[in-house]
Amino acid sequence: MSNITYDAVNRDVLRPLFTPSAAYVGGLGLVGLGLAIGGYCWYQQLTWGLGVAGYHPPVFWGVYITTFVFWIGIGHAGTLISAVLFLTRSRWRTGIYRAAEAMTIFAVMTAALFPAIHVGRAWYAYWLFPYPNQRQLWQNFKSPLMWDVFAVSTYFTVSTVFFFIGLVPDMAAVRDSTRGLTQKLYAIMCLGWRGTDRQWHHYMAAYGFFAALATPLVLSVHSVVSWDFAMAQTPGWHSTIFPPYFVAGAIFSGCAMVITLMLPLTIIFKLEDYIHVWHFEHLAKLCLFTSGILTYAYGTEYFIAWYSDNIYEWGVFTDRVVGNYWWVFWTMVICNCISPLFWYIKKIRTNYIGLFVVSVLINIGMWFERFNIIASSLSHSFDPGAWVYYFPNYIEWGIMIGSFAWFFLWFLLFVKIMPSVAIAEIKEQIRPPLKSEEEAAAK
Amino acid sequence: MSHVAVPAESVSTVPPIKAVYKHLDSLMTGIAELKAAGYKNPTVLTPFPRHEVEDLLYEGEPSPVRWFTLVGGMTGATLAFSLCSLTHMNWPMILPGGKPVVSIPPFLVITFEGTILWGSLFTFIAMMLFTRLPARNLPKAVEDPRFSNDRFGIVLENVGTQDEHKIKHLLHHSGAEEVSGGSGEAHHG
Repeated sequence: MSNITYDAVNRDVLRPLFTPSAAYVGGLGLVGLGLAIGGYCWYQQLTWGLGVAGYHPPVFWGVYITTFVFWIGIGHAGTLISAVLFLTRSRWRTGIYRAAEAMTIFAVMTAALFPAIHVGRAWYAYWLFPYPNQRQLWQNFKSPLMWDVFAVSTYFTVSTVFFFIGLVPDMAAVRDSTRGLTQKLYAIMCLGWRGTDRQWHHYMAAYGFFAALATPLVLSVHSVVSWDFAMAQTPGWHSTIFPPYFVAGAIFSGCAMVITLMLPLTIIFKLEDYIHVWHFEHLAKLCLFTSGILTYAYGTEYFIAWYSDNIYEWGVFTDRVVGNYWWVFWTMVICNCISPLFWYIKKIRTNYIGLFVVSVLINIGMWFERFNIIASSLSHSFDPGAWVYYFPNYIEWGIMIGSFAWFFLWFLLFVKIMPSVAIAEIKEQIRPPLKSEEEAAAK
Repeated sequence: MSHVAVPAESVSTVPPIKAVYKHLDSLMTGIAELKAAGYKNPTVLTPFPRHEVEDLLYEGEPSPVRWFTLVGGMTGATLAFSLCSLTHMNWPMILPGGKPVVSIPPFLVITFEGTILWGSLFTFIAMMLFTRLPARNLPKAVEDPRFSNDRFGIVLENVGTQDEHKIKHLLHHSGAEEVSGGSGEAHHG
C-alpha cells in the first residue's frame, strides 16, 4: 500500500459510486423478485394469521426465530471488526471495516423484521416497548425476551451512530469530488465536515469511546439472544454454555458473511489495491479460530447431556444425530466443523474460490445450527405424545427468501451511495509525503 | 480551544490567510513556527487524523467528550434500573419461582444495555457539540476540496495588517506550496 498516493485513494474508492452497471441492475432485479416473494408470503400471513405458517403444537418457534438469530449473528462480525479491531489497533481492519459495518446494520435491520413477523399481528409489535399507558401495564423485565428487545434495539442504535460517525469525513471527500445537486446532498450528509484540527481532535476522542462501548455491547447482544433459549427449561436449550457458544458462532458466521460479500465487491469494483487476499486470510483465520470454539462447544453440549444423566436432555441430543432432523445436524457439522478445516491449507485460504466456497458453506451451516437448536428441541420435548416433525412450509421459506432480498437490497444501495472503503483510514496507513525524504532522494 | 488567534496589539485585520502543503513535515514546521511567532491556534486542515498535529496543538488538553460519555453511561444505568424496578414495584407480584420483586440479576441486563445506549448517545451529542457539527462559523478559506484529498492546510484568521507580510513569509518559508488570502496577492511555491 506504500506506493499509493492520497489522490489515488479518493479516485479508486469513489469510482464505483453512482453509475450502475448492467450486472448491478440485474442484481437489483433479483432482489426485487425476492422481495416480491417475501412480501406476498407475509401479506398472506397478515391476512389469514399465523396458521398459514407451518407451525403446529408444540412447535411455535421455527424458521422465523431461526432466521432472526441467523441475521443477528451475521451482524456481529461488523462490530467486531470496526470496534474490537480498532481498540487492538489491527491494521488489517482498515480495508474491510466500512463494508462490514454496513453489513451489521443491514443484518440487524433484517433481523428486526422477524419479531414482528413471528408475533403474527405485526401492528401490535410496539407492545414490546415500554411506554406509559392508562392501565399502567408494563413488560416483565425478568423475561429474556424483554432483554432481547433492549439488547437488539441498543445494538441497532449504537451501530448506526458508529457507522455514520465513521462515514462523515468520507462523505466530505465525496462532496468535494462531485458537483451540483449530488454535491449539495453530500454536503448535508457530511454535516459540513472540513477536517479541521478541532474537528479531528474531538472526533477521534468520540470514536474511541464508541469503539469501547460497542465492544462489550457486541458480546452482550448474542449472549442475550442465547438466553432466549437458555433461560427456558426445554431440553437442549437449558445450558450455561450458551452465551459464549452463541457469541463464537455469531462471529464465525459474520466473518464468513464478510468474505462472501466482500470478495465479489473487491473484484467487481477493482479494489484489490485496498482489500488484499491478506485481509481475507485474516478473516479466514478468525473463522478457523471461532470454528474451533464452536466445535468444542458442540462436544461439551453432548458431554454435559450424557453426564447429567437427564433422560430428556440425552433424548433430544441423540434424536438430533439420528432422529428426524439428522440431515440438519449433519449439515451443521459438515459446514461448521469440517469445511473450515480446509482453510488450514494456505493455498485454499489465499485463493478466491477456496475462500468463497467455504464461506458460503459456513453461512449455510450456521443457519442450520440455529434450526437444529430450535426445531429439534421443540419437536422432541418432554412428552413423547406431543412429539411431531416440524418442516417449514412455503410461506416460511418465502419470507426467509424475502429477508435475504431485503438485506441485499440495502447492501446494493450502500455500495453505490457510500464509499465502501474508509478513505480517511486508508490514508492514515499510507506513508505521508515528506519534504526531507524527497530532498534526500534528489541529492 | 478557539479558532481565532488575535495578537493583543492588532487593530485592523486582513481576510483569512491560507497555506497549502503537500508535505507533512513542512506542515509541522509551519505550525511550530507559527506557535513560536505567537499564533498558537491556527486552523489546521488534514484529510485524515494525524497524531503529530494533535500533539502539537492539544498537548495536555484531552477532549472533554470523555465526561459526556461517563455522565451518559451513569444516566443510562440509573434510568434503565429505575424503569425495571419501579414498574415491577407498581405491580408487586411474587411470581412462581419466588424471585424478589426487584431482582438484581435480570435487571442488570437491562441496566447494562441502558448504560451502553445512553453512553453512546451522550458521546454522539458531545462530539457534535465540540466539533461544532453541523459546521458553522468556519471561514470560507477552509472550503478547499484539496483538504479532503491530498493536501494539508493552515488557515489563519484575524491576522493584523502589520503582521500579514511576516506571516505569509513564514508560511512560505516553511514549505507551503501555496500561500493565499490576506489582502490579496498569492505566493506560489
